[in-house]
Parts: sequence; structure tokens; C-alpha cells
Amino acid sequence: MTIRRRDLLRLAGTTALSSVAFGALPFRAARAAEGGPVRSLTLYSRTQAANPQQYQAAELIAQIWGELGLKVTVQALPNTQLSDVIWYKRDEWDLTMWQMVGRPERSDPDEFVYNLFHSTTAETGYNFVGYQNPEYDKAAEEQRVTADRDARRELIYRAQQIINEDQPYAFLVYPEKFYAYSGAVFDPATVTDQPGLGVKNFWTFIEITPKGDQKDLVMNSSNELNACNPFYISGAQDSWVTELIWDRVMRIGKDGLPQPWAAESVVWNDAATECTITLREGMAWHDGKPVTAEDVVFSFTAPSQDNTAPMYKPFTDIITGIEAPDARTVVMTLDQPNAAFETSTLAKLNIVPKHVWEPLLATLKPGETAESITEESRIGSGPFRFVRWLPQQEIVLEANPEHWAPPKIDRWIMRIVLNVAAGLGMMKSGEMNFMSDYTGDPELLKQAAEEDKDLVIAEAVDIGFQYAAFNCRRPPFDDKVFRRALSFAIPRKLIQNAAWNGFAALANSHVSEALPFWHDPETDTLETGVKIAKAMLEEAGYVISDGTLYYPEGKTDPFSD
Amino acid sequence: MRYLFNRLVHMILVLWVVGTVLFFMFRIMPGTPLAAFIDQTTTAEQQQALIAQFGLDKSLGEQYWLFLVNLSQGDLGQSFFFKKPVVDIVLEVLPNTLILTLASLVIAYVFGILAGAWLAWKRGSWIEGVGIPLALTTRAAPEFWLGMVMLAVFAFQFGWFPAGGANASGAAWDSEWQRIFSLDYLSHLALPTLTLAIYLQGLPLLLMRSNMLEVLQEEFITMGKMKGLSTRTIVLRHAARNALLPVATAFALGVGSAVGGNVVVETVFSWPGIGRLLVNAVSASDYPLAQGAFLIITAVLIVMNFIADITYQLLDPRVRVATTA
Repeated sequence: MTIRRRDLLRLAGTTALSSVAFGALPFRAARAAEGGPVRSLTLYSRTQAANPQQYQAAELIAQIWGELGLKVTVQALPNTQLSDVIWYKRDEWDLTMWQMVGRPERSDPDEFVYNLFHSTTAETGYNFVGYQNPEYDKAAEEQRVTADRDARRELIYRAQQIINEDQPYAFLVYPEKFYAYSGAVFDPATVTDQPGLGVKNFWTFIEITPKGDQKDLVMNSSNELNACNPFYISGAQDSWVTELIWDRVMRIGKDGLPQPWAAESVVWNDAATECTITLREGMAWHDGKPVTAEDVVFSFTAPSQDNTAPMYKPFTDIITGIEAPDARTVVMTLDQPNAAFETSTLAKLNIVPKHVWEPLLATLKPGETAESITEESRIGSGPFRFVRWLPQQEIVLEANPEHWAPPKIDRWIMRIVLNVAAGLGMMKSGEMNFMSDYTGDPELLKQAAEEDKDLVIAEAVDIGFQYAAFNCRRPPFDDKVFRRALSFAIPRKLIQNAAWNGFAALANSHVSEALPFWHDPETDTLETGVKIAKAMLEEAGYVISDGTLYYPEGKTDPFSD
Repeated sequence: MRYLFNRLVHMILVLWVVGTVLFFMFRIMPGTPLAAFIDQTTTAEQQQALIAQFGLDKSLGEQYWLFLVNLSQGDLGQSFFFKKPVVDIVLEVLPNTLILTLASLVIAYVFGILAGAWLAWKRGSWIEGVGIPLALTTRAAPEFWLGMVMLAVFAFQFGWFPAGGANASGAAWDSEWQRIFSLDYLSHLALPTLTLAIYLQGLPLLLMRSNMLEVLQEEFITMGKMKGLSTRTIVLRHAARNALLPVATAFALGVGSAVGGNVVVETVFSWPGIGRLLVNAVSASDYPLAQGAFLIITAVLIVMNFIADITYQLLDPRVRVATTA
């Protein structure tokens, strides 16, 4: 048996010095000062085919944690199987790669700040890592009821600092997304770049202006459309379509903050518990009938009934009172202020024609929901009208010239294109003129743009993020220091370059830098490296000996292998 | 008559077995249909509501019984995600699938049979030396690679054909027939059909050739030659007709499996079809859609198998005699 230099050095600092003279003994003496070894760990990830970047990052991280004396194996699982383990068997896993995706309504930090880490969501909700911190709960709750934006920002900052301190996730990156469109067909000055969403957003679609005779916007989607139903959102693609056909009381503006849309004004009382919505004058459904306050009341009360629109129910349940004093006014009452209400309710729910949907909802049998109704006319009041949907092929919308914000393009067409490389070719051949869903190598897109000067590329940092999650319920991950050390060991720069090819921004907060108003820049300065991590572990009493990590003295692994 | 009745009972039995295997297979598979809803599902209540809505709160036995009862009434249930009846969803994509797979099957078999017969006749010549490896190479080439090459050359280099989809974007038609017979549709159909045909031609070609070689050894061919019949008459009227039998079976089975679509070609060319539907259904654990679609495919396959048997009897009197005796 050889004595390693590391063991000797550590021994020098211990009181067991006297035993050095007995040869093999010091090793045993060292063992006595440490706890049991940390068990071998499994780091779950999506499969290489499904998410190559994430898988690559997992492989690198496993290797780096190996340097801390951990035995980490990467296990890749298909999406549903992975969710099955992580989401539904919350006591049974240790480490997983995971991601949160960006959506327009997530441009308000509430959803991530509250749901991801609040203790009440630990059992079955979003807090699947089982993070518990009363101080955090307090900040998350308070930001929700703080109507003053600056005061609320302080609380959002506080929440980010607590997470930075506790590291329940090892945040990795906010991925960058890539979009492209033909500068020959459309005037680039009329394209809006929305924070966190990029150029594919509502404002672009109503304002983008054709330069010549090609007045159809033809864009791609690499996923099938599931439904085109104002009460059912089952995927990102669905919401791209519904938000154009159906108006909403408010919209997330170009600055990422909610602003009145179908409403002329949204006025709150001083206590921020009652809001008065005044609808625009002269609004009409696509069938010519006027949009009234009754329609709005219907749209916000129907989802609250049992089994009508389960996806929307949580967003309307917080409304305790709603009435329409006249044809253009709606008054909503909440039992306490809700800072995210405008973003997550008023800017999320579609205004649905009562005369079309009320009779349909009346036909629902027990157990059925509005989600299963295929309403063929798709009458809304939005800037685009529904024309046709050929499953697996395309969905066609046409401009609604009667709308107060009429689109400049004639038609909005979304083609389902599964082959990314073919999509690039279609941009060149003109079969498509707006690349709204590019999942391929960004380098290829840049090359294509160099060859074709008319191809305009736009990139955007995502609101969503990629991370490695620690199961805070299970030792040693219940120890904050241990989580911090593991997180600090990961060289973010290397991950960013090696796994994401540099097409990502470094992350250390659940509020993305794509939301500049809410993101706390103080969390950005994370010093990483294996050395730092080792020092942290050793200071807390963990011992790395002979390539194995041991618990501090007196502790053993409850799940030892 | 008795024979037909026996076959029918046999077919129903097979369907029941396949249905049962499918039913349990999808439920034993790890993963849950709820996973695809996680992003939106925030509360435990909602999850419970979804489980109840999907009928997954009942015991497996109960679910299976319901499945059988509904199946016997021709009801395959409703897709978890599309929220539409499974039969409607499958029928929506079936025409495009059939057009693509049948067109390429016909091209592949006509070409394969002729080329196979010809190569057998040219046995030992340099034509065979080039032809066989060529057929084997195209047969072995991965479909997606073949598809990408087709796209690179004919769509992007020469610009002769569109790169994806079944119709030009935004095109509208008065009727489904008009759409299918439009030049637009046919030009979109060309590349995927050709790709699939190149992939499929190997089987009939090699099958035809080896059968021909066997038949050409038979005495009646020697007899024909002695009678002074022309090469054409011997090859086509006497040899080819006899060698065609196994190829006919392969064709009928090919038609049956054509209903399953071809997920690779459908993906490369963004062609609407049942293959894509199935892959999505399985990966999202959409049990009703996955098992329903597979069941429909099985039914068609069984029927085609049956038809193959009948054709066999028509084509070959020897089989006919054997069954009646």
C-alpha cells in the first residue's frame, strides 16, 4: 500500500501525527476522521438524439465531478421515460439534466420564481428538486402581491440571490435561438426583436411588410400542430397560431412588459385588487358580430367551471368576481393583489365568442372538456382569420383587414418541415421565407447567410435555461455546501463552448438575462473550477482520498451501494 | 365457402391477439402520457383530472375490458393529444401515405420484375456483373441518405422539384381529387416516390432473378427451345409467368405494409403520412392513437395477406387444386 502525497498533507494537519511512524496505520487513522464514502451516482439526461447539447454537457459534468472523487454515470432516457423518473418518482433519483423553456407569458418572472422553488410546489408541482427555504418562500410570495414594479424587482433580486447562495440547480446556459428570414421579400426594419423570444413574435407578424409581390409569409415548424382551439394549448406551435386568431385583453409588448391590447385601458384601484377593463370601440368577430363585454366575461368564467379548460383554470381561479356593467366595460376582482395577473391571465387567455362557444360547452358530457371540441370555424377577433389546416402539412391564416391593427402581409402560412437541412434549402429556393424554428447547427445557418446576402439572421437569448438539478431531498444533496461545490466545479465556459458551440449565454439564475429588467446581474459572477470546489468540500469536512469522496466525520451514506 | 369462413375466424383471432399485445405493450412501456403535459400542469388536482380524463384511473383489467368492448363496436377511442377520434386522424393521413407507398411499390416492382428477368437471362455476362452489385448497393443505402442526395441534386442543385410537403404553400383546391391529380402535387410526390422506389426495387429484382434462374433449368424451357420458340416467348410467356408467383406474394405483402407508411422518407421530405403519426404517438405515450393506428395497419395487412392467398390460387392452378382437394 502506498501513501499518497495528498494523504500525507492532510495528515499533517490532523492530530493523528503520532501514528505516522507505524506505516500502514496512518491510512486507517485518516479513515477514522472521515465518514462513509459517497455512493455512486446516476446523472440522468435526455438522449443524445433528442438533445445533443444536453447530453454532451452531462458527459462533461460527470467527468468533472469524477475529479472530486465521485463516481457519476450518465444515463440517457427518452423524454417521457425521463419525466417518469424525475417527475413522478421524486424520492428516487439524485441528479438530472433538465431544462425550462421560454414562452411569452414567462417574460414575467413570477412563474419561474414562484413555481420552481416555492415549498408548496415540491410535492407534485414544478419544484421537483424538493428545495425548501422559508426565506425564499417569503420573497416569492411577497413579489406576487407587490404591485409596485421597482419594489417587486428588489424581491425578485432577493429570490435570485438566495438561489445563487443555495444552488439547488447548477445553472449552465440560456441557449441562443436562431431565426432567419428573407431580406429580399420583407423589409427588415419592420421586424420586431422581442426580448427572450427573438423575431418570431406577435408584433413581427402583424407589422412585417413585404417589399414586392410576394405577400405571403411562409414559415416552418419542426413539430406537428396538435390543435387549433382557444381553450386548449398543448404545445408551443398551437399558441403561435391561436395568439394570432384570438385577441387578448393585454399582450406582452415589445419591451417584454404587458400592455393593453383589446382593452383601451386596464385601470387598477389603489389596493390593486380590482381592475376595470375598457374594450376598444368597434371590435368585431370574424363573422361580423360585435365583440362585447359579455364575451370577455364568458372567456374568463368558462375555464373556471370544472372540466372545461383544465389548462387555463389556474389562471382564472384567482378571479373572485367579474361583471360587465356595460357593453364595453368589464370589472374583475381579486382577493389579493397579484403582480403577475396581467401577464399570466390577462395576456394569456383568449377572448372567445360567446355565441359560438356557449352552445358547444352546453353539449359537453361528464368527463369531456372544451379541449376535445373541434370548432371548425375558428372565429376569433384577432388580426388574422383562420383559412384551413391540413394536418401534418400546413396551417393557413389570412389577414383581417377589419382589425384595428391590420397585418401588412396577405397570408400567414406555417408549414410543417421536419427536415432542418431541407428547410435551409427551402429558404434558398423561396419555398419558405421565414425560418422560425431552426434546430440545426447555427454554423450552417451563418454559412448560408454568407452565401446568400438576402438571408437575414436574427438570434435571441432564451428566457428558458439548461441546468443540472440536485435532488435536495436526498443526502448529500440536502447539504447546501455540497451542492455549491458540485456546481462550482463545473467550468461554465467549457460547457458553453464544448456542448453549445458557443451559441448560448452563461446562466446562474432562473431569471434569464433576456429579461433585463428582472435579471440580477450580481448573480453573473460565478467563479468556477475544480480547485475551488475541492477547497469548499474540504473546508466543510468532506475528504477526498484515493480518488473517492467521503462524508464529513460521523456521517454515512443512507443509500450506500 | 368453408375455407373462407375458416380464414375469417382466423383473421379475427389474429386481430384480437395483436390488439391485446398492443394494449399491454404500450402500458407496460415506461413513461406516462402525463409527461407531455408537465409544462402546463402545475397542480396535483389537474394531474388527477387528466388521469381521469384519459381513463387511466381505472384498473388495467377494467381498461382492457373497455378497450375490447369499444373495439368490437369499431370505436378505437380518442387521441389524448389531438382530442379527436383515432379513426378520423388515421383516415386524414392515410390517402397521402397510400399514394406515396403504392406509387413507389408499383415503380419498384415493374422495374424489379423486368430487370430481374433480364439479369437472369444475361447470367454470366458483364451486365450481371454490374447489375447485381448495383441493385444490392441501392438496396443497402440508407433511405435518409438517399433522400438527402435526391434533395441536394434535384431540388437544390437543379431546382426541378420542390423540397418538401405535399403541395405548394397556401395552395387551395376544390376537391381532394383535383388536389391529388394536380401537377403541383405530382411534382411534390416525385422525389419521395423515387427515393422509396429505389429502396424497394432490390427485393423484387433479386427474387425475380433467382426464381427465373430456377425456372430456366426446368425441362419445359428446354422443350420450348427445342420447339424453336423465340427467346421473347420463352422468357416472358413461359419462364417469367412461373417465376412471378413468389414476387406476387411479396407485392401483396408490400402493399399491406405500405399502409404503415415510411417514417424515414416522410421525415426527410416532410411528407404527410402515417409513419410520422405513429412515431409521435408512441413517443408521447398517446396510447389510444398508437394502438388504434397499429391495429388498423394490422387489419389491412391481414386482409392483404388473405388477398395474396387468393391471387395465388388464381395465378397458379396447382395451388387451387391442392386446396379444393
